[in-house]
Amino acid sequence: MSFSEYVISRWDTLSLAAAEHAMVVAVAIAIATVIGVGVGVLTHGVPRAREASIAVSAAILTIPSLALLTLLIPLTGLGWGSTLLGLTAYAFLPIIRNTVTGLRGLDAATVEAGRGMGLSRPRLLLRVQLPLAWPLILTGIRISTQMLIGIAAIAAFVDGPGLGNQIFEGLSRLGSVNSLNATLAGTLGIVIIAILFDVFFYVVRHLTTPRGLRVRP
Amino acid sequence: MFDRDTEGVRIELRSLTKRYPGQTAPAVDNVSMDIPAGELVVFVGPSGCGKTTTMKMINRLVEPTSGEIRIGGRDVLSLNPDELRRHIGYAIQQVGLFPHLTVAQNIGLVPKLLGWSQEKIAARVEELLTLVHLEPGAFTDRYPRQLSGGQQQRVGVARALAADPPVMLMDEPFGATDPITREHLQNEFVRLQKQLRKTIIFVTHDFEEAIKLGDRIAVLREGSHIAQYDTPAAILSDPADDYVAGFIGQDATLKRLALLQVADVPVTEPLPDPVLPQVAPDASLREALDLMLAHGTDRCSTPSGVLTYATLCEAVGNRPDGTRPEEAVAGDR
Amino acid sequence: MTADTIAARRARPLRRLPFGTRVLFTPVAIAVVLVALYAWVSTLELDSIEQRSLNRAVIVAKTIEHLEMTLAATALVVVIAIPLGVAASRATNRLIAPVILTVGNLGQAVPCIGLLVLCTFLMGVGFQTALVGLVAYAVLPVLRNTMVGVQQVDPALIEAARGMGMTRGQILRRVELKLAVPAILAGLRTALVLTVGVATLGAFVAAGGFGELIINGLKLNRMPVTIVGGVLTACIAFFIDWLGGLAEDLLKPRGM
Repeated sequence: MSFSEYVISRWDTLSLAAAEHAMVVAVAIAIATVIGVGVGVLTHGVPRAREASIAVSAAILTIPSLALLTLLIPLTGLGWGSTLLGLTAYAFLPIIRNTVTGLRGLDAATVEAGRGMGLSRPRLLLRVQLPLAWPLILTGIRISTQMLIGIAAIAAFVDGPGLGNQIFEGLSRLGSVNSLNATLAGTLGIVIIAILFDVFFYVVRHLTTPRGLRVRP
Repeated sequence: MFDRDTEGVRIELRSLTKRYPGQTAPAVDNVSMDIPAGELVVFVGPSGCGKTTTMKMINRLVEPTSGEIRIGGRDVLSLNPDELRRHIGYAIQQVGLFPHLTVAQNIGLVPKLLGWSQEKIAARVEELLTLVHLEPGAFTDRYPRQLSGGQQQRVGVARALAADPPVMLMDEPFGATDPITREHLQNEFVRLQKQLRKTIIFVTHDFEEAIKLGDRIAVLREGSHIAQYDTPAAILSDPADDYVAGFIGQDATLKRLALLQVADVPVTEPLPDPVLPQVAPDASLREALDLMLAHGTDRCSTPSGVLTYATLCEAVGNRPDGTRPEEAVAGDR
Repeated sequence: MTADTIAARRARPLRRLPFGTRVLFTPVAIAVVLVALYAWVSTLELDSIEQRSLNRAVIVAKTIEHLEMTLAATALVVVIAIPLGVAASRATNRLIAPVILTVGNLGQAVPCIGLLVLCTFLMGVGFQTALVGLVAYAVLPVLRNTMVGVQQVDPALIEAARGMGMTRGQILRRVELKLAVPAILAGLRTALVLTVGVATLGAFVAAGGFGELIINGLKLNRMPVTIVGGVLTACIAFFIDWLGGLAEDLLKPRGM
């Protein structure tokens, strides 16, 4: 069976796996964004807390994904639970770090001007600081997403959803007719998802970056 | 390389031209100039006039499109460029000290390239640090990032002098320092050059700096065309055209007074007068005038006599009553 | 874990604790975890299947396999990626740099497990297959960091070096490469940690390593074996990262 015949004959399975792959990554990223940006906002002004949050999220990233995912099994069982938890944990570092960098990198004069005009702290954060730091935060989210799309392939080993199942199927049937097709379908599918997510972020960045930051001097 | 004489040698530029591809007007257009041995010549002009390009052609960081360069009689364009540069001191505004090398290693780099012995390099480093007023014991093993801006500039000058080159090229070497440090570095540099007598080409856009340092100044305009090439005093007293006059500004006479020292002009009475404001013999005439104005007097006292307002006027070629004397005191240094 | 973690780990803005404390924290923490793991396993009554995996000979063998894979791959990456990175950074190759960056970014999207399995179709299972996969995966961060590190050298320094009469080769060896060392080391450290992680996947293509414990434990439904494999893998990753950090501090040119 040629590759294209394989893809056509398994289209339902493949598209479902791809959708699940994208879904689990998207949910993990959404959770990690809410928590990560929150942690970044709360800690960016406190050196000790800031360094601790970055050190912890960097340590998580040092743990190999197969190890982390399997070590979660006793806690969250096989399947979606461990996959989501593991992926979310991996996504923190780029998001927290870029939030902190973005907020700290703001022109001190801009923030002081806002304070001088009588904006309260929360209002200043919402109206001035976050919009200005947003392009950098979004970059962090994008980096995390690209990373998770790859890691999610391994999640199939702990019965997680997604295209990784195709790869492991190919591996378990090495030598059989469709093993290469399955592996190739899984791998290429993941690359395509990564590209689509990148396009998505390109559009989002264009739509959500404050206009004043986009215009060229 | 250039008839080994560590004192300066003559530099001749002949019809030097640099044309960059894709640009209609040449960056440097047919420049000819003689730079006498042992003199410091300042190229001064607005940014983009080609002064730096002209300078960089001399050590061939920029290859001339046409023309001729001779240093000490030797045709520069026939030499190996790397070899040539090892015999020309080079100092730039960003200093460009290598952050991974110590002060001693930075200064000793060119001597090492030239194959000097370890001992000779170490001795030379110590000599140069002393020359630029940095205590060798404290500075040899420091790294550039541990130095202040002014200290880095001094190490930069020491590094350019390392192999005792007869010729130095300096591109706004004091440009990045604060005004007080800059003035200090300039004064030291004047003293240093009196001692060394190198042939130096010094690029700046600061006319004050040009007057202060230059034996001669070349005022350049677009395409590195020479608007005027003369001594500072001659340019101040007789600017060639409006372009040069515009560079000098409104206070040409004060600037000329600044070029002269109290000790350069005759005193009117043979003995100092303790009642008058006192002025040092190495103060400039401009400072003497300032002192007179501040005290509301037309006289002040030097250690060897009394200096009058009339003498100041004569020094710049005028009588206090407005008429011109037969012969002005030479405004040269 | 994908190569994207490069960006993630590179500029870790940790304020350095006093030397002694910082240097000792990681190994002490690892030692504590290992002792706890040992104590826990000692309390378990292992059945025959578990005993076959959890004994000294097997653990030592798996450690050696894992380290062999990691170090061999990293050595190959050094030999391949650094010269390529330098070549890519040369001015005459201006067009190559963006191509490498684009291919690098796309390459990151290829999942490492997919890459490894695809390698088996070409070369069969075994150590060499895993090695090829690992190298292919870790070359990019080192290549990119080398290229960027050399290109980031302040142009004023290059001009000063030229003005002093250094030849192009001397400038490359004595100035550009020396100043790129921190960036190259950071890339290598990232690649090392990345390789430790991907090496666990080597077990899927029969190249051994700690991954084997994890996989066997899961397949045979013996959780202690999986947990031991997972904890050991994590410990070795932290340890290698710690060694990498030490090496960075020691090898970085003084004065920077």
